[in-house]
Amino acid sequence: MSEMQNMSSQTRPPLADTPQRGANLRRIKRRPSVRKALLLLGIVVATGLLLPFFAPQNPYDLASFSVMDNRLPPGSEGMNGEIFWLGTDSQGRDMLSAIFYGLRISLLVGLVATAIALIIGVTVGLAAAVFGGRVETLLMRLVDFILGFPTILVALVMLAVIGRGVDKVILAIVVVQWANYARIMRSAALVERKKEYVEAAYNLGYSRLRIMFRHIMPNSLSAVLVVATIQVASAITLEATLSFLGVGVPVTEPSLGLLVANGFDFLMSGDYWISFFPGLALLVLIFSLNLAGDRLRTALDPKRS
Amino acid sequence: MNREGELVKMKSFLFAGTAAILASATMSSQAEELKIALSSEPTAADPHYHNLSTNNAFVQHIFEALTATDANQNVGPSLAESWEGVDDNTWVFKLREGVKFSDGSDFNADDVVFTFCRVLNNENNVSGSFAPDVENFASVEVSDPYTVKITTKQVEPLLPELLSQIYILSDGILEHGDLSFDPANGCGVTGEWPSVDSFNNGSMTIGTGPFVLDDFTKGSKIKMSRNDAYWGEAPAWEKVELVPVPSAGPRLAGLLAGDYDFIESPAARDVKQLGEEFGYTAKPSSRVIFLQMDVARDDSPFIEAEGGKNPFQDERVRRAVAHAINREAIVERIMDGFAEPASQFVPSEMFGAQTDPVPLTYDPEKAKALLAEAGYPDGFKVTLSATNDRYINDSQVAQAIAQFLTRVGIETDLDAMTRSIFFSRRSKREFSFSMGGWGSTSGGAASFLRQYVTTGDKERGVGGSNYGGWSDPEFDAVILEAIETVDAGKRAEMLQQAGQMALDKLGLIPVHFESTLWAYRDGLEFDGRMDQYTMAKDIRPAK
Repeated sequence: MSEMQNMSSQTRPPLADTPQRGANLRRIKRRPSVRKALLLLGIVVATGLLLPFFAPQNPYDLASFSVMDNRLPPGSEGMNGEIFWLGTDSQGRDMLSAIFYGLRISLLVGLVATAIALIIGVTVGLAAAVFGGRVETLLMRLVDFILGFPTILVALVMLAVIGRGVDKVILAIVVVQWANYARIMRSAALVERKKEYVEAAYNLGYSRLRIMFRHIMPNSLSAVLVVATIQVASAITLEATLSFLGVGVPVTEPSLGLLVANGFDFLMSGDYWISFFPGLALLVLIFSLNLAGDRLRTALDPKRS
Repeated sequence: MNREGELVKMKSFLFAGTAAILASATMSSQAEELKIALSSEPTAADPHYHNLSTNNAFVQHIFEALTATDANQNVGPSLAESWEGVDDNTWVFKLREGVKFSDGSDFNADDVVFTFCRVLNNENNVSGSFAPDVENFASVEVSDPYTVKITTKQVEPLLPELLSQIYILSDGILEHGDLSFDPANGCGVTGEWPSVDSFNNGSMTIGTGPFVLDDFTKGSKIKMSRNDAYWGEAPAWEKVELVPVPSAGPRLAGLLAGDYDFIESPAARDVKQLGEEFGYTAKPSSRVIFLQMDVARDDSPFIEAEGGKNPFQDERVRRAVAHAINREAIVERIMDGFAEPASQFVPSEMFGAQTDPVPLTYDPEKAKALLAEAGYPDGFKVTLSATNDRYINDSQVAQAIAQFLTRVGIETDLDAMTRSIFFSRRSKREFSFSMGGWGSTSGGAASFLRQYVTTGDKERGVGGSNYGGWSDPEFDAVILEAIETVDAGKRAEMLQQAGQMALDKLGLIPVHFESTLWAYRDGLEFDGRMDQYTMAKDIRPAK
């Protein structure tokens, strides 16, 4: 009954006081393991977003490094006396700077792609659940269609057609990922739709759009958000894979995946650092995202609290 | 050495150890089977599809031409036993008797006529392929089944060399009546001219060569077996498998692991560490890596310059590009010494080359001065298009070039793409600035100059690869006369003159000549070829 009173009173916006939201935050605060995972993630994200400004070199500016310094092992001194702490790649690029910048591209691609896919997916899922009928059939079959293809294949074909570039990679990732959110959102929203407060809202004569976004969405979002954390990691992995295969970002602006690919040819020659350190950075990034996502899921699981 | 340090020592132990174990395991079992890892995949089993060295090397396993070139690109007999030039325009070829195709049919003059007609009736071909060579034939007469008389429209002193790449098909693959060289009326062929697919699926892949095609699966492997009816020296291998492995690392790993017996272009930095269980061959090649600029369009798609102009139309800008590049650094740091800096388009030992070209030195100050003089003191922006799986270290060389150009103010973006996309886009003239490669397989200096520097003229079969639209009437006059001069001494002189004119205005800019490397397991012998072709018949078990 309290739910109904909340929804019908117009003094406060319904977004702020949905009962689940408060419970979720309390659960997260209660669990130290979640806090640690989020802290690790925060450090990694901060590294990617802030450190490029302090990097010794701009690895995208071709004039700032020289091919004469190429393939130097970690800790060696370059022509102009600078120290390359993690070595240089085949073009003489400082690996440390390249990793900072690569981390930033990876994060940017992962976060932006996930955000866009989330918005599209949530809207489609909600619409399917609320409108039902033909709209639902149409939208959900489209989702089935997209989920039926292997993600890598769809992304590869798309990029082969539209060309390289950060924006294009993001587009490809959005296309392959939004369907995941739509499916989850729909099932969560279907459960909410049957609840009494939604019926009450209908009886009060609110528009469907208002019920969709202000009543059902806030109460069914937590599952989608948990999935989103993990999907950021998979978006980053996908970007790295595409770049590794040579269809992602341009070679003069390497992301982590492309750095690994660039170093791949030199592994046999013993120049391990060109692949190894970017690979390590990618590993830490994805691990921290997955860890945070996993801990969040546990914390938000009503069965376990 | 100090930059390699301890790790190298550790690794060579490791290499030697694994290699010894693996070599002993693989040697005995695969006596008659040869697995070759290619750096670049042939795009078709159709011998007339695309005039590309990868394709030419592969189809020569199965097909043969009237003539053939040896390891140093000297032309010699093959399906034709001998030939002579009757006058400037007429050649008579005596065909070899007793040669059989792999389907059992006899080789004779009809097959030659049929092949020439097919080269012209080839809808799928890329960039004209060999059609310009055959378009120059005024008539092909057959006086008896083993004598072919070819009359050319334009004088073609290099005809025997050009014919070494026109691979002979069997006329039995199509229905036909009496064959005659009459392209306008289909030459007497009644069936439908075969498409590239009929060769890829093997149904029409019937040649006189040392091997027969068993399977051509794009992206996976090519299987061939020995042609027991082959007229020449039988190859040592019962079965041959060509596997495309575009990355150098996995290719070498495959050799070390015994997956392959023989690999194309191992990374130069790796061969020196191979150890005694493996051998390698290095051979200087005629392949030049060069930069091609769009000079035809006033507004080129990938250039952003002040006033919307196309800076490459200015000779000073092209010269600035030439001097901005440190060729020694590219050879030393990226090619690991297995290349030669190029100041002209063919190696100086070649016929008609400059014996002592003016070196294109690395002089960034001069480059900047030239740019300023041309009205671009702040440079301009351009995108360099290049392949990433065609030439040795191509994407790295292109990155280094982009680096050198950016340093003098020409802000260069790099778009490195797979070669199939690169070639088709380049032939549509989509690029403003591209890095290409060309192995001069015939005709010495004439090959590059007529293909890339001469103003495009389909009728005369010149300028087929002049994608930048370079056009210099004075140069054209000299080269067109040179390629029609039968007297070798005079021709060489004129080619030198034409070559100098091309270098004076720098319509294209040479970068370096590749050296080709091959690596193989112990127990094999291979001499290498100047044209970079890898052919199983040249690989022998060591005695």
